[in-house]
Amino acid sequence: MEAYRQEIIIGAVLVYMVFCVLTGLWAMRRTKSSSDFFIAGRGLGPIVVSLALFSSTLSGFGFVGGPGLVYSTGVSSFWMIVISSTGYALGFFLVAKRIRMIASLRNCISLPDVAAARYGSEPVRFLLALTIVLGVMGYLATQILAMAVVMQAILSGTETFANIGLISCVVISGTVLIFYCVTGGIIASVYTDVVQGGIMMVAGVLILIAATSVFDGGMQEATSIILADDAEAIMPFGTAGIMASLGWFFVFGLGLAGQPHLVTKMMMNKNIADNRTILPMSLLGYVLAALLWVSIGIVMRAAVLAGVSEPLALPDDAASVFLSAFTNPLLAGIVFAGLFAAIMSTSDAFLNIGTAAIIHDIPKALRGKSLENELLWARIVTVLLAVVAAGFALYSHFQDATLVALLGAFGWATFASGIFPVIAIGLNWKGASATGAIVAIVSSLLINFIAQLSAIQIPYGISGGLVAFVTSMVLFIGVSLATRTRSLDDDIDALMDI
Amino acid sequence: MRNPIIVAIFAICSVMALILLAIIVADPIANSGGMPHPTIAGLMVGGDGAARLEEIGGLAFAFQCLLLLLIVALCALGVSPRHRTPQLYALLLLTYLFTLLIWWQMYFGHLDYLETRTTGYFLGFPLATAWQMYGTWFGAIPLILIYTLGFKKFIHSDEDEASYQQLLKDNGME
Repeated sequence: MEAYRQEIIIGAVLVYMVFCVLTGLWAMRRTKSSSDFFIAGRGLGPIVVSLALFSSTLSGFGFVGGPGLVYSTGVSSFWMIVISSTGYALGFFLVAKRIRMIASLRNCISLPDVAAARYGSEPVRFLLALTIVLGVMGYLATQILAMAVVMQAILSGTETFANIGLISCVVISGTVLIFYCVTGGIIASVYTDVVQGGIMMVAGVLILIAATSVFDGGMQEATSIILADDAEAIMPFGTAGIMASLGWFFVFGLGLAGQPHLVTKMMMNKNIADNRTILPMSLLGYVLAALLWVSIGIVMRAAVLAGVSEPLALPDDAASVFLSAFTNPLLAGIVFAGLFAAIMSTSDAFLNIGTAAIIHDIPKALRGKSLENELLWARIVTVLLAVVAAGFALYSHFQDATLVALLGAFGWATFASGIFPVIAIGLNWKGASATGAIVAIVSSLLINFIAQLSAIQIPYGISGGLVAFVTSMVLFIGVSLATRTRSLDDDIDALMDI
Repeated sequence: MRNPIIVAIFAICSVMALILLAIIVADPIANSGGMPHPTIAGLMVGGDGAARLEEIGGLAFAFQCLLLLLIVALCALGVSPRHRTPQLYALLLLTYLFTLLIWWQMYFGHLDYLETRTTGYFLGFPLATAWQMYGTWFGAIPLILIYTLGFKKFIHSDEDEASYQQLLKDNGME
């Protein structure tokens, strides 16, 4: 079997991609309106929503960057994932019920739609849509680039495709992504997410089993090796230190309820009562898939320290080196398919919310109505957005990586600090004002951009994202308390009492 | 009358902002955010853990205690005012104490290691890290139980569903 390692991996990835294309074709017949395209007509069952929710949370970063971070900085980045249980709980307590109710009451198809209904403010809608478009561009470009780099690494291991270029890989992987997103919209996206989520869970569990068998003494031997070299690396705050770790706890924990690609999925379930099962199911899926992040990073760091493996050229190589050195070809095939699944499940969610912001929210905020024939425009803009993001990714790879890195890093923290107060708190507090929302969004955009552009090093590993998040929370509530709140529309007022 | 939960959230966030400011202006410690491994490129090391906590350990501990309090306060805000019963507050208080216990074990377990340089292990990880790894993950279980098992009681009762359906009907959105 070892002789056919590369062929098995390519076969697994190919089967997965064919599945995505077929799902797109199937979903096309069920997509008859922009409501179907963007929020699946609010008719999804709990299992589909659960898997779509967690698979969109764990992007390619979780499968590539996550193990790389553990390899490089030790336990620090664990904080990004162990907080997921609290993050999901907060998201459901604060957002799931109200966003689903407002979506039906006002026929909302996007997050800015919900904000506009809640605050009765087009500027809030516009700023939220703008934040989403900025974040989506960076996220999408990094995901498309990651997908192409992984595909190139797989294909260049074969004789036929030994010299395949990155551009060709962007075209192949991008075409599959665009095809199922354009034809089937969010319906294709969530149903591919179901399979993508399944693959990711299986991959996480199998990788944990493989990782614990690398050393005779299992995970304890691996952690002991790390402890002997540098105790801080395997102690609770890792090499990055206590404030970097707690910052990640804050931004990734609370911030989960501010991620537009996730909370938008909370508008898609058929019944509000389904939320009671969606929460534990999506969390279980996430925990199983995230085992890969934890186990590969720890074992690779220990393997390098013990001389079992050569030092990695780049920390992000941790997953691919682990797969080729310590797993059998079949598992490697499943995990590589899982990696594509992780990247695509996040990318399709971003394509969807980015398109909604461009064709629905920004025109509505600027001219009071969205575009005519939204479904057609949704399909056209989905293609354009993916093409621009792919071009952006290639430009960053060959010319200047600054802008994409900037927007990529900008994504999660800006969504967290800009959207969490406005949506998660605003949907539960009648006193929240449009002025407070505008100040919170603008301050989070400014602080995150300034922190990224100036590359300011805040002492003790404190991130710009943490500063932006705490500031926007204080400003949002403080400004809302200090300003006069416009009276709510009667239906929204009544809804917030339920 | 102002919503007491939002006032509490505002107070917690404001104190957290002040703590953050105090940490930023505290005497800097060299390599407090890690430094390159002396022999292996691509790896970072933390170095002297005690020195890294010397100036800001207490402030960081307080920051996390407030963050855990903020989480339960936000959960309370997410529950409709008419379901915010003494029972709910009692459950949230117990949840807070549970997460505080986990944080306490993690933080002081780490300090204990820095002092004694010995540690036990639990499921593959040094004890303090096991509290972080498993404790933090499981620390939210009470919140998840309150949400799932108490769904009809605290989150969305049958009366809520009826009111919501009526609201949809009144707005012609059935």
